[in-house]
Amino acid sequence: MVSIAGPETEDAAVVEFAPLPSKTALAWRDLVEGFRRNWMWSALALQDIKLRYRGSVLGPFWLTITTLVTVFSMGFIYSHLFHTATISYMPYLGMGLIVWQLISSSITEGCNTFLASLELIQQVPVPFSIHAYRVVCRNFIVFGHNLVLVPVGVIVFQLPVDWHLLEAAAGCVVLAVNGLWVAIFLGIISTRFRDIAPIVASFLQVAFFLTPVFWPIDALGIYQPLAEYNPLFTAIDVIRAPVLGVPIMPHSWSVLLLSTAIGCAATCYLFVRYRNRIAYWI
Amino acid sequence: MAFARLRDVSVEFPIYSGGSRSLKKLLLHTTTKGNIGRDARDRISVQALSDINLDIEHGERLALIGANGAGKSTLLKVLAGIYEPTGGRIYASGRVSALLTASVGLNYEATGRENIITRGMYMDIHPREMRDHVDEISDFTDLGYYIDMPVRTYSSGMVIRLCFAVATAFEPEVLLMDEWLGAGDAAFLVKARRRMEQFVTGSSIIVLASHTLSLLREWCTRAILLQQGRIVAVGTVDEVASRYEAQYGALDTSQPEIAAA
Repeated sequence: MVSIAGPETEDAAVVEFAPLPSKTALAWRDLVEGFRRNWMWSALALQDIKLRYRGSVLGPFWLTITTLVTVFSMGFIYSHLFHTATISYMPYLGMGLIVWQLISSSITEGCNTFLASLELIQQVPVPFSIHAYRVVCRNFIVFGHNLVLVPVGVIVFQLPVDWHLLEAAAGCVVLAVNGLWVAIFLGIISTRFRDIAPIVASFLQVAFFLTPVFWPIDALGIYQPLAEYNPLFTAIDVIRAPVLGVPIMPHSWSVLLLSTAIGCAATCYLFVRYRNRIAYWI
Repeated sequence: MAFARLRDVSVEFPIYSGGSRSLKKLLLHTTTKGNIGRDARDRISVQALSDINLDIEHGERLALIGANGAGKSTLLKVLAGIYEPTGGRIYASGRVSALLTASVGLNYEATGRENIITRGMYMDIHPREMRDHVDEISDFTDLGYYIDMPVRTYSSGMVIRLCFAVATAFEPEVLLMDEWLGAGDAAFLVKARRRMEQFVTGSSIIVLASHTLSLLREWCTRAILLQQGRIVAVGTVDEVASRYEAQYGALDTSQPEIAAA
């Protein structure tokens, strides 16, 4: 008998296929491999900053100056509005604004994690997490420029320098973890639903006034718990209070860590499930 | 050893922006060669590839032939690992270097030298290591002093030379190229071909998608013809090309002949 099967059908039977890795394994590999290429995302983040401030003399220090001007002008007016001493209000406002800028840029830029890297994602196979690490790194570079004001404040307002600052440093690490899940979580859903970014932007505007960034929390009186359990406030509190040398609110760490855990869990679910769809949605 | 084996690979794109009925009708009646249909949840989707079965073994130079929208670029992106297929399985090994769009990731304000470093990063090569290769790469590009000029001053041919030089500097095991290579001038094509022959002997895979059939005839050992996301013919480049030409007319005649090898 003459075989009628072509060579291709024979080939197909011969090939051995390795077992396919699970979606969870692929997502985990993406995160680890992305982190391993830290030289790549840090260089990209630095390049972003350079491009953003190309041709400007002071570069990102313009933001530092903006913060400085805001703290002085707002600090003077609002300390009178709130009937508090300018000398104690200014550092409170300053630290509040610096941390808030980190939070708000993490959230707004988190919506663009993948959309901003559209061209790269469609042409070069790199782990998706690299884009998220890049956003976090970029925001912390800007945050670092603002932190230059802290030693100035410490000298001018004679703030205590002690081991409590380590608690603030721990707070920064927790904020970096939060920045990462926010960048992945919002990055994925705003790639799929393009309405998310504007919604988030208007939410942030409201949140700025509802969170004790520039107003003292005890001004709320009996409603103070409302603010105490606000995750955005706890994120500010764990960094601001140690720098000012005042105790952190009793629930701040627990609320912050709980929201971090919930955020990470939700992001894991989303990333495992939809990671391979990101390239399709873009 | 590099290889890529595809079994029943399908790629289906959801189209979220084209939901309205009128647009749907419009899409269904256009002359695009792709398959547009609806998925289970009544969303519009484009079937870019369906049931692709393909084995590419080491040392092979494969040509992808097909009309616009036949799925050539999508297949390259699947091979590059950019799209994880929505159906079927892919089993591949080898360090991939993909040249899909010439301009990708190029920073037009930065110099050629700086861009070499950046593109190296995308290929997972540390800037420190890349710096040792910059001179060797810029030699290959023949860009001369242009290498220290911003890329925005380059001609499109110069951009291609730069990108090709970086992509092939590290002897990729799998080199994927889309269309644009033909934009290089004759001297460059000869040089590029010599370099590719060098590493094909080192058992690498090259997959080239192009409409320039003369280029494919010269560079490739095997060809597949794609039509509406399906493989409709496999064979030598001559066989497949003549079938393609018979189907669509000799579209190739307008293309300039490249320098005789």
